[in-house]
Amino acid sequence: MADALTRSMRASHVLVAVLVAASLIFAGIGVVKGDTFYLRLGTEALIFAGLALSVDILLGYTGLLSLGQALYFGLGAYVSALVLMVTPSFWAAMGATLVAAMIVGAVGGVVANRVRGVYFALITFGMAQVAAKVVYNTRALGASDGLIGVPIIKVNFGFAAISSASPAGFFLFTLAFIVILYALAAYLLDTPFGRLLIALKANERRVPFLGYDTVTPRLLVYVIAAVIAALSGALYPMLRGFVSPELLFFSTSGNAVITVVTGGVGTLVGALYGGILLTLLKSVIGSYTEHHLIVIGLLFMGAVIFLPRGLMGIVRPAIERLLARRTKS
Amino acid sequence: MTAPVLEVRGLSVSFGGLRAVDNVSFAVARNRVTTVIGPNGAGKSTLFNLISGAVRPAAGEVLIDGTDQTGHTPNHLQAAGLARSFQITNLFFELSVAENLRLAAQILEPMRMALRPVSASRAAQQRVDELLERFELADKGAMPVAKLSHGEQRRLEVAVALAGKPKILLLDEPTQGMSHGDTADTARLIRSLASDVTVLLIEHDIGLVMSLSDTVIVMHQGRKLAEGTPDAVRGNPDVQSAYFGHA
Amino acid sequence: MSTAIEYFQFVLAPQMLIGLVLGVAVILVALGLTIIFGLLDVINMSHGEFYALGAFIALALGSIGLPFWLLVILVPLVMLPVGYIVERGLIQRVFHSGERHVTTLLLTFGLGLVMEDAFRLVFGPNPHKPETPISGAIDVFGVFLPLYRLFLIVGGAVIVALVALVLYRTRLGAMVRAAAFDRHMAASLGVPVQHVYAGAFAFGVALAGLAGVLLAPIYSVFPTMGRDFILMAFTVVIVGGMGSIAGVVVAGLLLTQVQAVSSLYISPVWSDPIVFGIMVIMLMVRPQGLFGRLGHG
Repeated sequence: MADALTRSMRASHVLVAVLVAASLIFAGIGVVKGDTFYLRLGTEALIFAGLALSVDILLGYTGLLSLGQALYFGLGAYVSALVLMVTPSFWAAMGATLVAAMIVGAVGGVVANRVRGVYFALITFGMAQVAAKVVYNTRALGASDGLIGVPIIKVNFGFAAISSASPAGFFLFTLAFIVILYALAAYLLDTPFGRLLIALKANERRVPFLGYDTVTPRLLVYVIAAVIAALSGALYPMLRGFVSPELLFFSTSGNAVITVVTGGVGTLVGALYGGILLTLLKSVIGSYTEHHLIVIGLLFMGAVIFLPRGLMGIVRPAIERLLARRTKS
Repeated sequence: MTAPVLEVRGLSVSFGGLRAVDNVSFAVARNRVTTVIGPNGAGKSTLFNLISGAVRPAAGEVLIDGTDQTGHTPNHLQAAGLARSFQITNLFFELSVAENLRLAAQILEPMRMALRPVSASRAAQQRVDELLERFELADKGAMPVAKLSHGEQRRLEVAVALAGKPKILLLDEPTQGMSHGDTADTARLIRSLASDVTVLLIEHDIGLVMSLSDTVIVMHQGRKLAEGTPDAVRGNPDVQSAYFGHA
Repeated sequence: MSTAIEYFQFVLAPQMLIGLVLGVAVILVALGLTIIFGLLDVINMSHGEFYALGAFIALALGSIGLPFWLLVILVPLVMLPVGYIVERGLIQRVFHSGERHVTTLLLTFGLGLVMEDAFRLVFGPNPHKPETPISGAIDVFGVFLPLYRLFLIVGGAVIVALVALVLYRTRLGAMVRAAAFDRHMAASLGVPVQHVYAGAFAFGVALAGLAGVLLAPIYSVFPTMGRDFILMAFTVVIVGGMGSIAGVVVAGLLLTQVQAVSSLYISPVWSDPIVFGIMVIMLMVRPQGLFGRLGHG
């Protein structure tokens, strides 16, 4: 007898598999058509989906709304860019990003976790605003222009290498990377640690009486979310060859939140689908008008009011029912 | 002579000028059922809050197995062997019955299991199955707690407190709001618990108190008024006037 | 000795004056925010956009020839029904869900996005600067005081005093405070809680809009003006205490003075981090802020 949480995560896995399949087809078509633009756009969508994933980990599983995840995303992007400009090594960039994210995340986590609810949202908002302002005004980091000239790199796996210049290759690599991040997050949720986070969201008061510390798990999950956001951000300069302070702006954090809420809070896969949907919408609407934010903003408000469980709230139960029927027969 | 499982000495706390608990001292005998009774506002729940680490005492000590645990956090106290249930059901309502129990039982597993899949924690799973059986909730394992009847929720409250294999169990009005039949069943359950755990209980149902308890402690206006066997306490004139003498 | 006085006259006092003007604006905006939080328990992430809305409406009406004085009265009046509809039509829809704090925050965040882009759509991304309604300045003890700024400071103080008066000395105010303290009890006493809530929200955004009108000649009007302002407004509300009017006034004056004076010595880049730092420290040390909540204050 599988637990309800496990069942819904299984539905999420099915949806991820569907996403991977669709992406493979997409990549295939792209290669055949010799496309660069859409493959790169798709890669970018996946990178921002990684940021959305980090927002969902906090919002969906611990109930904490972070309005400043872009801070870590931008951190990852800048650290990665800086490292790559010195040595074009994927692993060095990722390693440096990991360390930076753990340190900054720990500091941010200690500060932010002193408070809950709206105060947490405001503190994270403030942290990101401050960081964005500082980066915007720091000449060493390129100020308002950002850093350009990030070289093309080869991701070396020993047996094979993928170049960041190859649209399809890097798209598939990013897909794999983000799916691995998803898998890590999903795995975590099926562990006692993950379940403790869910319990903290469900009834924080009771948790200490069961014998658990409440401070450490919160801090840990915050750092994990920071790391996921940063690692996703680290891919950005590899794709685009530059980084700019916009990556730290509130709009980046805000977009991630919109993605998660429309996709479905707490589903993890909602962050992925939401990210893709948002990118699609932006480019479709963007081809008609510059003011896509009005449409997206309205759709978002509609989702908050009418679809509190997001798109996944409709899709996942349907899949759960399908799975249940299959196991019965 | 070993130290009593739980001992409180001179425990006091005030809330805004009101002495909620005033210099209360007693020791709880091992594997016995001790019940705390008293009129409303006597300070019983506050006493539990002081013992379980929810509230810091202004004065006094709490000792578990002779070790000073005064002012320690609830999770620290759980590690020392103390568990409690709540008067107002304080469970994880959105989660399933089994998950509630598993969360509580998981504490029995070593830390390294925290990052392995939940299904790998067999000891915890076993404990969950045991408790589901013992508390007659076996067919409701997957049900969200919010869908249980009030009586079932109150039973689960006790089960969750018991899941971590505590030495001493504090039950705050476990039969609150229960039907007569449920109350009798719960009383039997509590009696059967005493063989593994020491039980300290707050109760209002006098009949229950008399039949269940080995020792009764009476509180009134924050102070301990009397302590003794049920019969001794029943005959105590101070207790009688506390309950009936004041209009 | 005279250099100290001169320093005060020519460097410090003008800066403090700038701080005071900003302070009045921040107080008016934060006042609305704190009333909305104190009463409705709603974090209005679009509050900055209502500040901007006031400025934009003034810009539009001003361009058809309406005088500034009329705008000061008209714009807040126009914003009242807007706020009322937003509260009844949008916020009430998610008000009764379990996670009200998060959903109203998200909803108002979305609203803010839409509003900001709408401003860009209608008015374009570039700043507009309306003419200063009162030109000229006076000299007070050697300190150069532009008249419009003086008007703002005095006018702002009067408005805040009026709000406090209404809230604490009138029956309407008593109803509002009762509804903030205990919604159900107030309802059973005959207070029309639904209308009080919607009215309070409307009033709060009208205050923000008024601030927008008043400050437009000084800070210009552009689509992202709300976003830039909101961190300071939230900091004032948090430091002062969510729901506290006295808190907003004290914190508003304090923080803007800190920012104004510190900008004399430190690069303005650091003013946001300083303000934010104060917010963080307050949240960590005394999360309820300096003073209490609206109903309990």
